[in-house]
Amino acid sequence: MSRKSKTNITFIYTSILYIAGLLLFLEWLYPVDQVTDTTYIGIFVIYTIFCFFISVLQVKWWLSLILKGFGVFFILNGLYSSYSFWSIHWFTELLADFSFNLQALLDRQWFDLSNMFRTLLFLIIIWLMSYLIYYWFVQIKRVMIFSVLTFIYITLLDTFTVYNSDWAIFRTFIIAFLALGIANVLKEIQNESLQAYRLSTRPLWIVPLVGIVLFSTVVGYAAPKLDPQWPDPVPFFESAVNGNGIGTGGVIQKVGYGENDSTLGGSFVQDYTPVFKAFMKEENYFRVESKDYYTGKGWVNSEESEYVEQVDANITYETFSKVVESETSELMLTFDDRANIPKLIYPYGTRRVVPPSEDVSLMLNETNGEIRTEVDHDAANLSGYKIYYDSPSYSIDMMQKSSTPEDEELVRNYTRLPSSLPERVGELAQEITAVHESQYDKVRAIERYFSGNGYVYQIENVPVPTEDQDYVDQFLFDTKAGYCDNFSTSMVVMLRSLDIPARWVKGFTSGEKIDESVNEDGDDVYQVTNANAHSWVEVYFEGVGWIPFEPTQGFDAPNNYAIDTQEEDDVLEAPEAPEMPEQEFERPEKDVEEAFNPSVGENNGKFQITMTHGIILAVIFLGLIGLLIWKRHQLRIYFLERRMRKRRDAATYQDAYHYILKVLKNKGFEKDPDQTLREYANRIDNWYGSNEMGRLTANYERLIYQNGVTNIVDEEMSNLWKNLIKRILG
Amino acid sequence: MQETMVYNEKISSVIDNINKVMIGKEDVAILSLVALLAEGHVLLEDVPGVGKTMLVRTLAKSLDCDFKRIQFTPDLLPSDVTGVSIYNPKEMEFEFRGGPIFGNIVLADEINRTSPKTQSALLEGMEEKSVTVDGDTIPLQKPFFVMATQNPIEYEGTYPLPEAQLDRFILKLTMGYPSLADELEMLERTSKEHPIESLSSVMTKEELVLIQKEVRNVYIEKNVQQYIVNLVRETRNHESIFLGVSPRGSIALMKAAKAFAYIKGRDFVLPDDVKYLAPFVLTHRIILTSEAKYDGKTAKQIVEQVVKQTFVPIRKEF
Repeated sequence: MSRKSKTNITFIYTSILYIAGLLLFLEWLYPVDQVTDTTYIGIFVIYTIFCFFISVLQVKWWLSLILKGFGVFFILNGLYSSYSFWSIHWFTELLADFSFNLQALLDRQWFDLSNMFRTLLFLIIIWLMSYLIYYWFVQIKRVMIFSVLTFIYITLLDTFTVYNSDWAIFRTFIIAFLALGIANVLKEIQNESLQAYRLSTRPLWIVPLVGIVLFSTVVGYAAPKLDPQWPDPVPFFESAVNGNGIGTGGVIQKVGYGENDSTLGGSFVQDYTPVFKAFMKEENYFRVESKDYYTGKGWVNSEESEYVEQVDANITYETFSKVVESETSELMLTFDDRANIPKLIYPYGTRRVVPPSEDVSLMLNETNGEIRTEVDHDAANLSGYKIYYDSPSYSIDMMQKSSTPEDEELVRNYTRLPSSLPERVGELAQEITAVHESQYDKVRAIERYFSGNGYVYQIENVPVPTEDQDYVDQFLFDTKAGYCDNFSTSMVVMLRSLDIPARWVKGFTSGEKIDESVNEDGDDVYQVTNANAHSWVEVYFEGVGWIPFEPTQGFDAPNNYAIDTQEEDDVLEAPEAPEMPEQEFERPEKDVEEAFNPSVGENNGKFQITMTHGIILAVIFLGLIGLLIWKRHQLRIYFLERRMRKRRDAATYQDAYHYILKVLKNKGFEKDPDQTLREYANRIDNWYGSNEMGRLTANYERLIYQNGVTNIVDEEMSNLWKNLIKRILG
Repeated sequence: MQETMVYNEKISSVIDNINKVMIGKEDVAILSLVALLAEGHVLLEDVPGVGKTMLVRTLAKSLDCDFKRIQFTPDLLPSDVTGVSIYNPKEMEFEFRGGPIFGNIVLADEINRTSPKTQSALLEGMEEKSVTVDGDTIPLQKPFFVMATQNPIEYEGTYPLPEAQLDRFILKLTMGYPSLADELEMLERTSKEHPIESLSSVMTKEELVLIQKEVRNVYIEKNVQQYIVNLVRETRNHESIFLGVSPRGSIALMKAAKAFAYIKGRDFVLPDDVKYLAPFVLTHRIILTSEAKYDGKTAKQIVEQVVKQTFVPIRKEF
């Protein structure tokens, strides 16, 4: 085979490779049109093709410079100037624009840059890329990096922008893999391990490559695919950017405080948009309102209540009676601008609120405890307020001794259940509480029931009940997986089936402690986000009042229970529930946030993998892998050298020596099998103009051919080894 | 290392001596020494006049050994080589008079010009290190080193040595013509007095025997032995080779490699030694197939192929 035809063939293949590079680069340009305000993307595409075409011709550098430069100014002229290309006015216009933009650059006034200048920069980038891709694809034949970058670019755009990359992925896949295959063959030819003439006499080699790529493409396209394993991260980012905090609707919802609870169920994604900061000394559950009527699908209010204005912001709503011991306390809430809850968010025992201005009126719904915040009779979001409250400490003794409620209307209202409720719900409640006598014990038994028995806390893959399904029944018997709404609703419904008055409460948990002792009162700061929106249960105890209970796995109601008798210990230890291991994954919001700030909060070290973590971990993981691959030689050298210095044994030296052979092989200096080490070392030393390989080899020869030589690694040899390998890699 | 290499320095003075006489033939000189130290014999094949005899004479003179020369002619008888028993009237009995084979270094000049019967008398002595005359076995001298020369067999009036006898020679060498510069230098040196006349011996017989003993102690690692065996086995499987190298060939290669390593000042054998010596040790031990011969391939090319196909060991099990 003559040299001429050999170069012809490789020219054809490198051209194909280069065209593949061009096509991949064009994939970078197509989305620009959609995701930026760039118009005339076609012009850029044409300029790209022009640049690549000139690069592939391999004209002299000055000619290429003139041609590409001419192209740039031609485009600028066409796009931005009314003068002709050869006109002197166009030239002065250009100069003026440049001087203006250079000034802007110097002043770092990025937004002042003119469109023309930005176009110029963009064209120059395209120009550079044509060089770079020529270098990557044709000269060093490393296609991988750019292909991977292209994939990342396209997928990121697909995820975070309006750009739909379905077909782009398709094209990129085919082009990238064909290019990889061809580049590999060309590399083999370069290393002379494959004769070039085979390419021409048997162009068939490309058939399996094309075949495999097409086959996997078709399979990939046709095969069934898993649904996304992670919810779309975009809502979180968008909400973080746009502050569009509260959202409901759809099967996948964002967590947050919503108005409409008539259809519960469905998965949601965590949303860490801040709602408010609480300055307080102890954790509290923040109540917003309760609901009393269970429909089988969700909760509604049974009646439209009157709203009563609270005089001087003294709150008349009481959930517990005067007999409950309480401690005077105060806290302050400051709301995030993005929060949109025109209602008072208050702890149990709230007595008085200090709103930010006098104009604010507080309207109480006496039935469900909802307190609207209004200014001039219009719902208003307050920037913050101070609350004086009596932090209750419920006496278990009192609850134990609490008698059957006497208020019939209350009992009727809060034990109502839909007739469609399957009987097995009530039967289950009976079963759970069968051994218990007092109402309190029964309540605690049901509350505890969910911490085991196969129930798991999860926010994904939670179904919405179908037309003929009951929300509670579905959770209790079918899915056994859900979040606070499932747990709390089920508890209320089961209690009601036992004729224990109970209601469903909505509000917020106390979120994540982000700072300690920030003011003279020694208050801690808690950040409450949409993810801390919560629901729980209140149970009526005659003479005591509405006592909150927390059935949801992984949550502890920060209630104070006053222990005043011994025999209740058993009951009190309820939350020790033996099924705790499950909580590893079920610790909800609180712990998620701890993961970001591990020094804060309880030291239980529990951790839930969420989407955001997943992404961060994946990025770190990929980064580490990339780093490992990138630094693999350095790592290997480090470990081998350490082992040599430490052990000084023959096997290590053999490994180290063979590592050099491997590195040299990668550099294209492969040792022929029939070559002796000495011959090989001569070749290497001739190439590098040193005698290091020869000295190392002489040492190694003694090791493997001489009798009884084992201890030959000294300082000199390990230094020699290190120097040589650095020389090779350098 | 030191105790096994006591006499190593002597070797270099022998080589220096040879270099005084022979110009540009250091490699042949070293290879001859390899054969001598490995207690083998050398077959020098080349056209007349390139210095075969001179090489042997120089070697003999440098070593202070008993040098004998047999000029093989077609009418030479075996007894001309081994010696005869002559009646001694005084003692009233036959007395054995040893022939030229009873020397330390024997030059068998143009061995292929004599009859096979006479050839075999020499070859038997080379193998057995003794000769049998009138039923008595008489041991030969120690050291005993035969350097046989032969004209290339294409020449007329020759009796080619049978293959079975060829492998008695540990090495087969060729001298080749000297280069232009070497030949000019040669003329210069020999114009007045031949340098061999002024040569003095640099090693005694006893020292040579001791060196031969030291050579036997040169270490050869398992992996290098394996390399030798692989090479030899490769000749047995090669498609162009009708008859491969015998186990005697493996032993010869190992012995030669030890001697070569010794000369190079090492007490262990490298694959390099084996690789370098393989053509000299193996070429005369293989018989090519007729097809290969018709294709114009030579044994030398085939051995080179064999060497190229055999992997050099570069690892040791620890």
